[in-house]
Formats: sequence, C-alpha cells, structure tokens
Amino acid sequence: MTWIFVLLLVTGVKVPDAEQIVGQPQGPVVSGPMLDQQTNEIAGLLRCPVCQGMSVADSPSEMAVNMKHQVRELIARGYTREQILRYFERSYGQFVLLKPKFQGVNTLVWILPILALGVGIFAIFSMMTKGGDGQPVDQPSVDEDPYLAEVRKLTGKQS
Amino acid sequence: MNRVVLIAGILITVALVLVLSAGLGKDPQHIESPLIGKQAPDFALQAVGTHETIDLAKFRGKPLVVNFWATWCRPCYEEHPVLVSNAQMMQGQVQFLGVVFQDKEEKIQGFLNERGSAYPTLVDDAGKTAIAYGVGGVPETFFLNKDGKVVAKFEGPIDPDSLQQNIRKAMTQ
Repeated sequence: MTWIFVLLLVTGVKVPDAEQIVGQPQGPVVSGPMLDQQTNEIAGLLRCPVCQGMSVADSPSEMAVNMKHQVRELIARGYTREQILRYFERSYGQFVLLKPKFQGVNTLVWILPILALGVGIFAIFSMMTKGGDGQPVDQPSVDEDPYLAEVRKLTGKQS
Repeated sequence: MNRVVLIAGILITVALVLVLSAGLGKDPQHIESPLIGKQAPDFALQAVGTHETIDLAKFRGKPLVVNFWATWCRPCYEEHPVLVSNAQMMQGQVQFLGVVFQDKEEKIQGFLNERGSAYPTLVDDAGKTAIAYGVGGVPETFFLNKDGKVVAKFEGPIDPDSLQQNIRKAMTQ
C-alpha cells in the first residue's frame, strides 16, 4: 500500500480522498483476517453499480473489485462501517445501499408489509368470529337474521 | 368491522401499488447523481502521452466537461467525434477533460491517434476518481460550472444537442 502513496507523491497524482467527504477515521486501524472479514461484510452491503442486483462482495466485475479494494483500504485506515457507507452514498446516492435506509419514502417499504400482515391477521381473526363479538359463525344472532328469529318464534324455541 | 378491514386493505394495496409503480418506469441502471449542486470531487491525474499531471482545480473559473470513457466501450466510439468537434468549437470558453478507467495506456493512445483528440485525456488507474463521481458505466459525462460545482450528469453516448444544452447549464448556473 505504501508504494502507491509514494508513487502518488512523486507523480503529483491526487485522487478524491475519503477525508474530504467523511472526515477523519473514527475507528481502530484493522489488519489481518479481521480486515478480510470486515471488507467482505461491508462490501456485502454495497450494490455493484454495473450489475443486476449483486453486491460488491459477490460481483467479479472490475468496478466492483475496485470498490472492494477501496472498502478494504478505508477499513485499514480506521474508517468505520457507517463512514464507509456514507462515503459511497455521497457518490452514488442511496442506490448503492442494498438495504434501504429507514427514512423518507423508504419508510413505506419497511412499514407497509408489516401493516399489511397486521391487517391480514386482523381480517382472519374477525372472519373467524362474528363481528368480533365472540360468537361462533355457525350461531348467527337473532338480531342479524330475521328469518331465523321468525322460525324460532313460530316453533317457540329460543336459541 | 369488516368494512374497517376492507378500507385498511384497500389503502395498503393502493400505497403498495403507488410505491411499486413509481419504480416501474425507471431504468434500474440509471443512477440519480447526488453530486448535482455539490462541489465536484477534486483530482489530479496523469495525462495520456505527456504524463503531465493535470489538476482539476487548475480549470476553476471556466465551465468544465468531464467525460468518463474507456476503449472497450462501444458507445464511447460513437460519442468521441461529438466531444472532439465541440471541444474545438468552444475552445477558450469551455474546458473538456477525458478520464479513462479500467484500461491500458497504449490502447488509449492508439484510440486517440486513430480518432483524434482536442483535450487532455487522463488515466484513472484504480478507478477511484470514477467511484468518487458515482460512475456506474461508461460513457458518463459531468458538467461543472466555473466554481467547480456539478450542474448536470449525462449517462450514455452524448449527442450534440444534449451536450450543448448541458454546457449552457454549466455556463449559466
């Protein structure tokens, strides 16, 4: 990694740096197997921009490989998961996050299925009981069935 | 009670249909650039041929067209003459820059020798500049105003009308 920095200094080449975008690293410097593990974990949260629904961790495309290298470099410098996600989000927007954030219109994506499930359970429950008053379906109340009430009146039989 | 369930069901269905239909007309590969209205990420890269390091900051005060491309990209062949002719036509008023990534310098040089060039072409070795600009595929063209702010992004091979329209934006915003 050091030779790249030396080369950049010698040639005067400057690439956009994370520090300008997300500030100083806020985590510990990571190396060894932990670095590989965290790289895969964070790259798995990023969408490969040139693929169809694949993560940066899974895609073999050169773009994804470059992004994964950058994730690795940022972790090694001590950037946290949140900082790294924010760094990529600044360039690609929320498109790059495989898991949408709980904000704005995205809130509906999280809430609607839970709400639909709740309404479904409530609907099934209310169908199993009559009008929710605890009476079984096969025993309709007299108030709701005038024909049955008339039959009971004629036969003199009460429910 | 059943009426409440029915209304709630209809409301949820309508909301779900609205959310899903909002995404139906969109190209899944289209990335809305969050950089528009923001300061463009700074870079200084080596130019193909001369190996001179060219700093983006050097062009502050002039509208800038930054075109990301590669020799393996077929649509880039299509837009190259459009960019070259407009760069020649607008020389002095607008600065054009080409940024090539995921490519080899000899191939880029061959391409430029064969098809001509009118502005510096820079090499983005590890693709870091492309990533900082949120490039999802080539070609992509960014338009910066004289203060270095991104005013527009164009995906795909640019046509003369779109190029002129976006240059006007860069000159006026």
